[in-house]
Amino acid sequence: MKPLISLLNTVFDVVLAPFGHRFAAFDLLVWPALAGVVALLVYKKVSNQKGIAAAKNGIQVHLLEIVLYRDDLLGVLVATAQAMKQNALYLGNNIGPMVVMMPPMTAVLVEIVAHYAYSPLPVESRPLLEVTMAEGASMKSTDVTLEVPPGLTIDAGPVATPEGMAVWRLKAEAPGDYVVTVKVGAESQQKALAFGGEPRKIPVERTNTWEAILYPGEDALPSDSAFETIRTRYPDRELTFFPDGESGILGWFFGFSLAAGFALKGPLGVEL
Amino acid sequence: MILLFASPAQAYIGPGAGFAFAGSFLALIAAFVLAIGTILLWPITFVWKLIRVGNPFKKAAAKRVIVLGLDGMDPGMVTRLMQEGRMPNFRKLAEKGVFRTLDTSNPSMSPVAWSTFATGVDASGHGIFDFLTRDPCTYAPLLSSTDIGQATRVLNIGKYIIPLGSPKITLLQKSQAFWKLLGDKHIFSIIQRVPITFPPVKFRGLLLSGMCVPDLRGSQGTFAFFSTKTDDGVPAFTGGEQTVLRRQGNRIRSRIVGPDNGMVRGSPRMTLPITLTVAEDQKSVVMEIDGCPEPITLLAETYSPWITLTFPAAPTVSVSGIARFYLTSISPEVSLYMTPIHIDPENPAMPISHPSVYAVYLAKKFGSYATLGLAEDTWALNERVIDEKAFYQATMDICDEREKMFFDAVSRVKTGLVTTVFDTTDRIQHMFYRYLDPDHPANAGKPTTGEYANAIERVYVHMDGILGKLLDTVGEDPNTVVMVISDHGFTNFRRGVNLNSWLRQNGYLTLLPGADTSGDWFEKVDWSKTQAFSLGLTGLFINRKGREKSGIVEEGEEYKRVTHEIARKLETLIDPATGGKAIRRVEIAPEYFTGPQRFDAPDLLVGYEGGYRNSWDCATGSVTHEIFTDNTKSWSGDHCVDPSIVPGVFFCNRPIVQKQPRLIDVPFSILSLFGQKPPDYMQGRMIFTAKGEGDGLATTRGLLDPASLAQSGCAPGARVGTTPAWSVDHVTV
Repeated sequence: MKPLISLLNTVFDVVLAPFGHRFAAFDLLVWPALAGVVALLVYKKVSNQKGIAAAKNGIQVHLLEIVLYRDDLLGVLVATAQAMKQNALYLGNNIGPMVVMMPPMTAVLVEIVAHYAYSPLPVESRPLLEVTMAEGASMKSTDVTLEVPPGLTIDAGPVATPEGMAVWRLKAEAPGDYVVTVKVGAESQQKALAFGGEPRKIPVERTNTWEAILYPGEDALPSDSAFETIRTRYPDRELTFFPDGESGILGWFFGFSLAAGFALKGPLGVEL
Repeated sequence: MILLFASPAQAYIGPGAGFAFAGSFLALIAAFVLAIGTILLWPITFVWKLIRVGNPFKKAAAKRVIVLGLDGMDPGMVTRLMQEGRMPNFRKLAEKGVFRTLDTSNPSMSPVAWSTFATGVDASGHGIFDFLTRDPCTYAPLLSSTDIGQATRVLNIGKYIIPLGSPKITLLQKSQAFWKLLGDKHIFSIIQRVPITFPPVKFRGLLLSGMCVPDLRGSQGTFAFFSTKTDDGVPAFTGGEQTVLRRQGNRIRSRIVGPDNGMVRGSPRMTLPITLTVAEDQKSVVMEIDGCPEPITLLAETYSPWITLTFPAAPTVSVSGIARFYLTSISPEVSLYMTPIHIDPENPAMPISHPSVYAVYLAKKFGSYATLGLAEDTWALNERVIDEKAFYQATMDICDEREKMFFDAVSRVKTGLVTTVFDTTDRIQHMFYRYLDPDHPANAGKPTTGEYANAIERVYVHMDGILGKLLDTVGEDPNTVVMVISDHGFTNFRRGVNLNSWLRQNGYLTLLPGADTSGDWFEKVDWSKTQAFSLGLTGLFINRKGREKSGIVEEGEEYKRVTHEIARKLETLIDPATGGKAIRRVEIAPEYFTGPQRFDAPDLLVGYEGGYRNSWDCATGSVTHEIFTDNTKSWSGDHCVDPSIVPGVFFCNRPIVQKQPRLIDVPFSILSLFGQKPPDYMQGRMIFTAKGEGDGLATTRGLLDPASLAQSGCAPGARVGTTPAWSVDHVTV
C-alpha cells in the first residue's frame, strides 16, 4: 500500500494545482472532464458493446410493450419481468468495465479530495487527535503517549475509551504544519497537522487498513502497527462555485465526468 | 442499490459504468412505475369500459379476426397453384371454409381498394380515386391521399428558420376506418401497412402506416445510383438520380443527397459525404459515410443491412433516414445503388405509426425495416439500375420484415382485430408478369428463362408458407376468424394507351400554337381550348367551367354531351395492332357514383380490357404522337383495367352466406362479426352468419368453381392481349 500511495502522491503532487491551491476551479473542471473521456475510451475497449446495446434495446422493447399493450394485464406483468431480466443482463455487462475502471478513478478522486476538500485547522480551534488501537493489539489505549513539537500544546487529554481509542485536544500558537509523534510501547508513529495559512493538501488520516488509499495526504501506517488509525477532523473548504467538502467534490466529480462522458459518447461511438 | 448504499468513494465507478448503473436504476424505476400504474389503472379502465360499452363481445360471432391482406393476389394464379398442389395451406383453408373471388373497387387499384376496405364505402365515399389527382387551379398533379404542409409559425434567426410547430400533414381520405369504430367500442386492433393510412389517425389500437408514406425527401421513392461509368447524353432516370463518380486510385468520394433543409433559408439539399475504397482484390468496397460509426464493407451483388443516415439540419438538429446499398459492379466500373431513403422507424421524421412509439417498438424488437409506402423499388428495376435478382431479394427481405411484425401482432391480440397487408404479391406480379406471356413486348432484350422466370409462383408459394404458419398458430380456435383477402387480381400489361393523345386527335385537347407534343404534366396544353384531359391511371377529367381554373365546358347539357360522347367513342377504341377492343367499359362518374365525394372524382373512369392500361406518358399528363405503344418496361403486369377482369381473392375459415363477396362487404362484416352495428353509410352487407344463426345458412363454402374465373387476368389458360377470347376449358380443381 505504502509504495502505491507514495507513487500516487509523487505523480499527483506534480500534476495537481499547477496554479496553486487557491485556484480549485482548474482542477475541478479539467480532471473530471479528462477522467470522463478516458473512462469512456476504456469502457469502449473493455466492455461488451454489442451485449450492452442488445440489453438496452431489450429493456426499451419491454418498456414499450407495457405502454402499448396496457390493456393486457398478463402481458404487462410478463413485459415487466422481461424488462428486469434485461436490466440484470445490462448490469452484468457493466461489472467487468466497472472493475477495470474503479481503481484509477478512485485514485484520481482521492487525490483531488485531499487537495481541495478540506481547509487547514483554524489556529484558534482546539482540534482533537484521535488514535484508535488495532484489533488484537497487545497494548491498550491507556498506554499511548503523545509528543508535540514547539508551537503546539496539548490542551487536554489523553482520554482513553474502553473501545481502544485515545483522544487529545491540541492547541496551536501559530499557523504552520506540525508533526506530532504517537508512541505505544516500542512503536512510534508520526502524524502531520495543518494549522492556518494558504489552502493546501491536507493530511487527514493515517491508517493500516485498505482505506489508506483514500487518504493520500500521508503515508499509510505499517500493516503490523499497533495503531489502526490516527486522525484529525478538518473543516470543509468553501469552494464558492462548487459543492463543498468530500461529498460535494465526489458528487461534482461524478456528475461532471458523467456529463462529459455523455456529451462525447456520440462522437466517440460508445454504447453506454 | 449499490449507488444508494455504498460510501461515496466506493460508489464512484466512472462515467461508463456510472451511466450504466444510473440508467439501469432509471429503467427499473420506469418498469415499476409503468407496471404498477398499469395494474392500478386497469380496474378503473375496466369499469369505465363496462359502464361505457358493456361487454363489447356480447353479441360477437368472433372474438378475434385476423385479416391477411395479400395485395394483388390473383384468384386465377391461386387456383392454378392449388391445382398443382403447391399451395396446400390455401387449399386447406378453402376446404375448411370458403374460397371465392372478391369483387374489387372501381378503379381497381390499391389506394382506392384498400380505402374501401378501411372505410366500407366506395371511392365516392372516401374520396380516393387514384394515386394522383389534379389541382384544379393549376392542372398540376397532387397526391390524392396526403397533404403535407409547412409549419405555419417560424422563428427567423440569421440563416436559420426555426419552426414553432409541426408541419401539418393531413390524410385526405374521407369517412372513417372501421377499426376506429371498433376502438370506440373498446375492441383493440393492430393494423399494419394498410395503404392510405398516412398520416395515422388516432384510435384505440396500434397502426403502422403503409402505401403513400413518403421517403425522407418527401417523394414516393427516389433511388440513387452512383457509378464511375459515364453515359453522356443518356436521359435521367425516372424515379431516381444518378451521380457520376470520379475515381482517384482506389478511393472515390461523393455525396448522398438527402431532403431539403427547411431550417435554412433557401431550403438547400442536405448531403452526406460518402467515401468508397475499392479493395485490392476488387471483390469488395469499404463505404464510409459521415455520421456512421463504422465503415461498411460491401460485397458485389449483396445488399447491405439498413444503414442509418443522419443529416445535420442545424446545430443540435438532425434528420434521420435509413437506406440499403447494393454494389451492382466493382470492376472495371464501380456502380452502387442506394434505395430511396426511408423514414427511420426508430427516429421517425414524420408520423408513420399510431401511437408514434409503435414504429419505434417494432424497430427495436426486429431491427430497422422499410417504411416507405411503395417500399419495393420498382422504378430501379424498370430503369434496369438493378437487375431482377436484386429486386427480388429486396422485395423478399421486406416480406420477411412484414412477416415478423404480423406474427408479433397475432401473438399480441387475443381478442380484437389484426390486419396486415403484404405488398410482395403485387410488386412481384407487376415486375415479373412478362414471364407468363412469351410474346410480351417487355421480353425484348431481357431474359425469358432462368431463376426468376417463376418468381410469381415462388412468391405465391412463399405466402402459402406464411398462411400455414398462421393456421398453425391459430389452431382450431372457434372464436378466431382468419381471412385472406386481396384488393384486386392481376392481368397483363402489353399495350399502353395514351388517352391524352387520343383526346387531342379527336379534338378534345389542344396544344399551344407550334407545339407538337405537350411535355410532362400538360406543359404545352392550351387550356382555353381543351375540353378533357387524363391524369393518373384510369381517370379522365372534363375541363369544367367553374371547377378547373381555365374550364370551358359548361355544366349541364354540354357537360353531359361531352362526357357521353367521349365515353361512347372510347368504348369502341380499336387497337390497330391487334384489331381488338382496348377498352371494355367507361363509367361516367356523376351517374356511377352516389357518395358525397363524387364531385371530386375524375369525370370518366376508363375500364381497359386485359392487356391494356394508360401508357406511362399518359399517366404523367403527356400528349405524344402515338395513341398505342408497346409496354417494354419490366412493369409488365397490372390491374388498372375494368374491375370485372381483376377480382381479388377471399379465403376464410368460415363459410359465408353471400354467393359473391365484395371487398366493400369485408369491413361491414368484420364489424358485424364483432357484434357491432355497422353505420348506415357503409355500403356493404354481412357475408357471415351472425351469432346464434348457425352455420346452416352459410351455403357458400369450399373451393371456387374455376369456370367463374373466365374474366380473371391470371386464370389458368387465360391468354391476355393478342387473343381476345378467354379460355379456361381445361381447368379442373
